[in-house]
Amino acid sequence: MKKQCLTIKDLTIAFGGIKAVDHLSFHIDEGEIYGLIGPNGAGKTTVFNCITQFYKPDSGAVMFTDKDNNIFNLVQMKTHQIISHGLVRTFQNVELIHELSILDNLLVGAHIDFKTGVLAHAFRTKKSKQEERLLLERGEKILDFLGLLDKKDELIGGQPYGILKKVELGRTLMSHPKLIILDEPAAGLNDTETVELAKLLKSIRDEYKCTILLVEHDMRLVMDICDRICAISFGKKIGEGTPIEIQSNKDVQEAYLGKVDEDETDINIR
Amino acid sequence: MSTFLQILFSSLESGSVYALAALGIIIIFRTSRMTNFAQGSIGMFNAFIATFFLMKTGANTVVAVLVGMLSAFLSGILVDMVIMRRSKNISPISKQMITFGLIMLFLGVAPMVFGSSPLSFPRFIKSGAVTIGGASVTHNAILNISVGVVLMLGLFYFLQRTKWGLAVRVTASNEQTAQLMGVPTKNVTMGAWAVAAALGALSALMLAPAISVNVSMMDNVQIFALIACVLGGFQTFYGPVIGAYIIGLTKNLLSYYVSSTWGGALLYVLFLIFIIFKPNGLIGKKLIKKV
Amino acid sequence: MKTYTKYFAVGLAFIIAPFLQKAGLISSSSIIVLGTVMFYAIVGIGLNVLLGYSGLISLGTAGFMGLGAYISAYLTQDLGLPFLLSLIISVGIPLIIGLVIGLISLRIEGYYLAIATLGVAEIFRQVFVELDFFTGGFSGKNAGYPDLIFLNLDRFWTYILIAVCLIGLMVVTHNIVYSRSGRALLTMRGSEAAAQAMGISLLKYRLLAFGIATLYAAIGGVLYVHFIRFAYPSGWNVNLSLQILAVVVIGGMRTIIGPIIGSFVVFGIPELVLKQLPIIGNIDGLAYIFTGILIIVVILFYPNGLIYLGHDIKTLFNKEKVNEKAVPDH
Repeated sequence: MKKQCLTIKDLTIAFGGIKAVDHLSFHIDEGEIYGLIGPNGAGKTTVFNCITQFYKPDSGAVMFTDKDNNIFNLVQMKTHQIISHGLVRTFQNVELIHELSILDNLLVGAHIDFKTGVLAHAFRTKKSKQEERLLLERGEKILDFLGLLDKKDELIGGQPYGILKKVELGRTLMSHPKLIILDEPAAGLNDTETVELAKLLKSIRDEYKCTILLVEHDMRLVMDICDRICAISFGKKIGEGTPIEIQSNKDVQEAYLGKVDEDETDINIR
Repeated sequence: MSTFLQILFSSLESGSVYALAALGIIIIFRTSRMTNFAQGSIGMFNAFIATFFLMKTGANTVVAVLVGMLSAFLSGILVDMVIMRRSKNISPISKQMITFGLIMLFLGVAPMVFGSSPLSFPRFIKSGAVTIGGASVTHNAILNISVGVVLMLGLFYFLQRTKWGLAVRVTASNEQTAQLMGVPTKNVTMGAWAVAAALGALSALMLAPAISVNVSMMDNVQIFALIACVLGGFQTFYGPVIGAYIIGLTKNLLSYYVSSTWGGALLYVLFLIFIIFKPNGLIGKKLIKKV
Repeated sequence: MKTYTKYFAVGLAFIIAPFLQKAGLISSSSIIVLGTVMFYAIVGIGLNVLLGYSGLISLGTAGFMGLGAYISAYLTQDLGLPFLLSLIISVGIPLIIGLVIGLISLRIEGYYLAIATLGVAEIFRQVFVELDFFTGGFSGKNAGYPDLIFLNLDRFWTYILIAVCLIGLMVVTHNIVYSRSGRALLTMRGSEAAAQAMGISLLKYRLLAFGIATLYAAIGGVLYVHFIRFAYPSGWNVNLSLQILAVVVIGGMRTIIGPIIGSFVVFGIPELVLKQLPIIGNIDGLAYIFTGILIIVVILFYPNGLIYLGHDIKTLFNKEKVNEKAVPDH
């Protein structure tokens, strides 16, 4: 019996009278790699922000089951409280801190796992030094997993794009989250890098035992690694299922390619 | 009633001074995306130039004002060409800090060139007053208010109805797009600095008869002008002007009816409270950040 | 301990000065200037945490310095309290006000914040001038060298006290910015979105940033009034706040040593060097011109401060060495 990790119920949000997301519902099971796709302007990013509470939806619920099997409605929380329940996101624009090293950027991801406060830091108490050491080790392990350990002290400013994306992924893993939500992780990557990314995401799911939600444009990646997919258009769900089911879904094809002639039904979205 | 009218007219006069300075700030803000904290300092400096011109040549006051505005116009161009041109890739906070440097620069150069003692600058119309509804209003005040209003109306007309005004508005809306469409944005920003400086000088010279020409003459006006922009919102050209008159009126009302010593401080307190509840000003619109 | 060496070195450099003075190598007035460089550096380090690390601007710094100065002067002179007790109160009250400002700052965007703090600075200025039972009004307020109950300090020992405070605060600030708190501040500055996503409470860290800046400013004010032994209201104005801002910008943002360099440039060089120059040394306002031009030049060409000048000189030196090697002998 598959356990539900994240359940979106009737999510709705409008901007200036236009419904960006319209009564959207879907659910993600534990251990899945789940994809959210849709043509440009479909509302994917809006859904993303509604889940992570960067926008507050007008109505609907975002039910999340944490590590202790408690269920929370994320809509009732403040943006910065989301991560403490086990849900971490990445950004399309890779929001890393240029003045910090790669390892330090990872440590930011473990911010909530630190228990010591400013005064402890100011006077470098034993406890704060211990914590820092522990989390440094955790960070180094993740960098090793990502193949970036040799670069740990390099500054973020000036790093190639592919590395930035990996570092951001590393940052999400630092708090050992239950669910990681990726905002167009393949954006700006070439074919080889995308294949690498697919491999990486699968091994993250296996190694770190987390569920992954992918909001993505790149069909190859989505069809390759996702267990299930939800397709939206104009804020509404137009299909949900396995990659094969989605590929043969007429509504999805129409949304991407426009109305198709009856004879051309075999469009492989590769 | 007559006291209130008295306060009203005096507020219109001080409001004009603040409005001209505020207009200078918003013009630069909307075209170069930066807050010019040195607006008052540049005005002060050129007020000195006008006063010196007056003292050395004994010319007509109006001529001296025009000289002051012209030199301000030139200083605005100079500042833009020497400094602002090089600051294209700098964060807004850093640009703001460049204007802090400008403040210090003018603060240091003024006493060096003009000496440290305050100078007097006469009113445009030396004497004479009318009585309106029991309130006595000097001819000079009426002139100041009228000049202020006419200038502002002229500027708004320019912005709304002329080709160059359109160029300014387009640059203000989106500089990159404006450039792509062939608008000479470099000239627009330079012109903006020049006009803003001239407005600052006029503002200083209108104020001068009351408080004399000295290095800190525009300190209060600078702050009021900035507050006027916050009040009226940085999204429009007319907002800060309205804000300026509101500030002029509020300050006088507070000083008269509440306390003359604490009137100024109270104004700032009210301002801080206002900004908490309406962070985007009276007219401002909130922008939703895209993540 | 290794990482703190440079802080102890700087402190030592300052501490040596009075001994040099006793040996007749430098003048007595230079000691006073160096003392002021030190406490303005302290204020600068605090402002650096706010501006450099947290990306927030405040023009009210001078006001908080003045508040610390006046409260301490009042408590020690008028109420006869011992220095340490007065110190705690004199930094506590400004700290609370600073935290309130931090709270308000959440509602206000970037350029508005500068204007709002300008308003705060003006309120302070007005209060200092009007509350003359407390501040002595236009005629100013007197204070004495610190009275540490068991020991009454003189000018020499007060100077040493300031140096010790400077070293201590450098170490403490270093610890803070290289810890989780420092990373959180930098993240808040670099990307509020990332900060929130990583669980960093913007409220908490804004309060921290404003708290530190205000605390250090108040400490600087207390040290000021007990070293200079006098304070007058027109001194705590926006121009001073701008000078302290210059200290941070010119010296080097996001470093601990930067504000020391900045303070020396803004508050030391005009007094020690410029004023001694023939002819132009007598020009009124030279210091302002010097600082003003420096701010502009630094922002345009050295946005991270003069401290990186040393780094660039090193790189240039290395590059030349490499070039020499690259040219083969024919």
